[in-house]
Amino acid sequence: MAHAALSLTQPLLELRAIEVAGRQQPRLKALDLTVKPGERIALLGPSGAGKSTLIAVANGLLEPDRGAVFWCGEARARSTRGRRRQQQRIGTLWQDLRLIEELTVQQNLNCGRLAQWSWPKALLNLLLPLESEACAAVLEQMDLSASLLNQPIGALSGGQRQRVAIARLLRQNPRLWLADEPLASLDPRLAEELLELLLRETEAPRALLLSLHRPDRIQGFSRVIGLRDGQLQFDCAPQDLTAGTVEALYAGTAQP
Amino acid sequence: MKPAAPLLVLLPALVLLPVLLLAPGQVHGGGWELIGTFLEAALQPSLDPLVLRSLLQGLGITAGMALLGWACSVVIGVSLGIASSRLVWRSLSGSELPADLLRRLLAIPRSIHELIWGLLLLQLVGLQPAVAVLAIAIPYGALVARVVSDLLDALPDQNLKALLLSGTAAPAALLTALGPPLLPGLISYGGYRLECALRSATLLGVFGLGGLGNELLLTLQSLEFRELWSGLWLLLAVMLALEAVIRRLRQRWGMPSRFGLGEGASGQRGRELLLALLALLPVLLLVAQALQVNPMALLDWQPLPPMDTQHWQAALALPWLPLVLNTLLLTLVAAALAVGGAPLLLLCVAPWPWGRQALKLLWALGRLWPPPLTALLLLFVFKPGVLTAAMALGFHNLGILGRLLLEGAEVSGEAIEQALLCGGCGARIALLYGRYSALARSYIAYGAYRTDVILRETVVVGLVAGTGLGSQLTESLSSFAFDQLLLLLGAYAVLTLLGEDLSDRARHRLLQQ
Repeated sequence: MAHAALSLTQPLLELRAIEVAGRQQPRLKALDLTVKPGERIALLGPSGAGKSTLIAVANGLLEPDRGAVFWCGEARARSTRGRRRQQQRIGTLWQDLRLIEELTVQQNLNCGRLAQWSWPKALLNLLLPLESEACAAVLEQMDLSASLLNQPIGALSGGQRQRVAIARLLRQNPRLWLADEPLASLDPRLAEELLELLLRETEAPRALLLSLHRPDRIQGFSRVIGLRDGQLQFDCAPQDLTAGTVEALYAGTAQP
Repeated sequence: MKPAAPLLVLLPALVLLPVLLLAPGQVHGGGWELIGTFLEAALQPSLDPLVLRSLLQGLGITAGMALLGWACSVVIGVSLGIASSRLVWRSLSGSELPADLLRRLLAIPRSIHELIWGLLLLQLVGLQPAVAVLAIAIPYGALVARVVSDLLDALPDQNLKALLLSGTAAPAALLTALGPPLLPGLISYGGYRLECALRSATLLGVFGLGGLGNELLLTLQSLEFRELWSGLWLLLAVMLALEAVIRRLRQRWGMPSRFGLGEGASGQRGRELLLALLALLPVLLLVAQALQVNPMALLDWQPLPPMDTQHWQAALALPWLPLVLNTLLLTLVAAALAVGGAPLLLLCVAPWPWGRQALKLLWALGRLWPPPLTALLLLFVFKPGVLTAAMALGFHNLGILGRLLLEGAEVSGEAIEQALLCGGCGARIALLYGRYSALARSYIAYGAYRTDVILRETVVVGLVAGTGLGSQLTESLSSFAFDQLLLLLGAYAVLTLLGEDLSDRARHRLLQQ
């Protein structure tokens, strides 16, 4: 495992022939995707293309009806314990951030470590400020003041919340970072900032798979993937992406 | 060091430490085989047609008493609720004083448990079916009245003012402006009271007022556990069916769930609702006839024996301080066991899908199982005392709080729980951080309200507790010492009102933060 964790060539995520059934048509069809360390992938597609489903399969929220998922070279574990260990290496930035409003910033940051902690320590986190230095360090990495540690989440601004959510991912320290439309409903300045932060923090040996609604923010990514009707339409470097390909991806839909 | 929200939910469970430490000292040695036989019998209830017929008959009487008592309480409650609403008096006469006075007065019937009403009425008018109905109707009516007047007073009054200014007659204006917005909350609460009425009617039966409760007590006392379980399973089926129907209707009519009585919900399908109410009338009449309830017979009551002044001194000489302290101790231990026990158990079984189902069954049994019967069962193994009584009372309320906790857990914090699971957290931690964070405040607030219900309920396990007001009360009642009884009732009323005030304050603080 230690070897796998350090490897820079071992793919972090492999999806093989993934199928996810939907009500009328499949949500994902015969989908293959490999994510290697250091890759920053933008996932494009109109709404309903299957972007969220793909992210959900990648982070283990959804079990595909067919096909195989490999995390860091290991097949998706059958045992709960095994799967929990695998899922610790995958971190998700949720669109609604999923911070716990009732807890302080520090307690929320420590949520990134809960999977590794024993339950007495998890209980203690609700009573005392634990691992303050590590929490302060990730806040500073996000250009936030350590004085926020004791603030309740409710006291933060929108931009601060985004950063705390990323800081929580830094606490978790996953290899693969997933983000499901994190830029939606953000004003342009905040969106730009957030994207910069995400790209900065996901250099090798980490990797980033981020779904985007619109095709105008793909600078800085190393790969662009187009998804439509649950199928891959293209997979190339951003500089190779032509206006025609993008148009074809969104043809007949209201976007971009 | 301030415990965070999810931890608050678990804090009351700390009472388990002293309880578990002290419980072994309360074991009297024998009786374990009896408990074993009792548990075994759960899987092989008696199917003897004779037994079943008698149990079904008892169940019918209990259900009938519950339904009638509930219906009366709703009628009483709505009328008195309107009569004690500040808003109504302000718009009709300009003064809120009558409303306040009536509210104070209503606190007295409310603070006395239906069991005491039942036993009192039994002394006054003798054993007849109407006693149980009235015993339920009086305190429930006062409770409904309080909820109705609170709901009314919380409504915005602009519409009402506009109607009055435009010259509409006051009663018509009240009905038009306040009726529709009042209905959803009232129906939701009324449905919940019907569930409570079924439990109360069973309890009254245990104390000899007829119906299934009586049968359950007799089978327990004669150690006929298989017959006892037949009765329990029947009662469970009826109770779960009733709860399911009420839940369905609540959803169908768009009524608020109990967990968020504060949240606004709009009623739907008014016509259907009206028809349902109309259909209820003939049912009620038929039930009353079948049970041979005769309201006229209630008028034929025996006067109380005259009170001797010398007895008053004896009554005042009762050990009041220990009585009150033991009652409070019993209340707090039982409340903590129930409030803290439910989330703790739910956490324990979180990793297993069947665990939640098993808990649901356990909680349903707790709800329907009258506390004095649990207490009798515990007496097979434990000595009588505050601890034994608290366990019995705690188990009953665990069933009520547990169900509410699950209802709350199903509607809050799902996304965060999911996020934690995706990050590799265990099921328990994800439940604790995800769902308990979101529901902590409203759950604890409900726990505070439940605590003053438990204070009233201490009377039903009084005999087992061997000490405390409830125990003294049942003793005084059976020795016809009405002077003692009056003082004890007064003490109970004062305690309950103080408790109500305290828990109201706690709730407001919790919910406003």
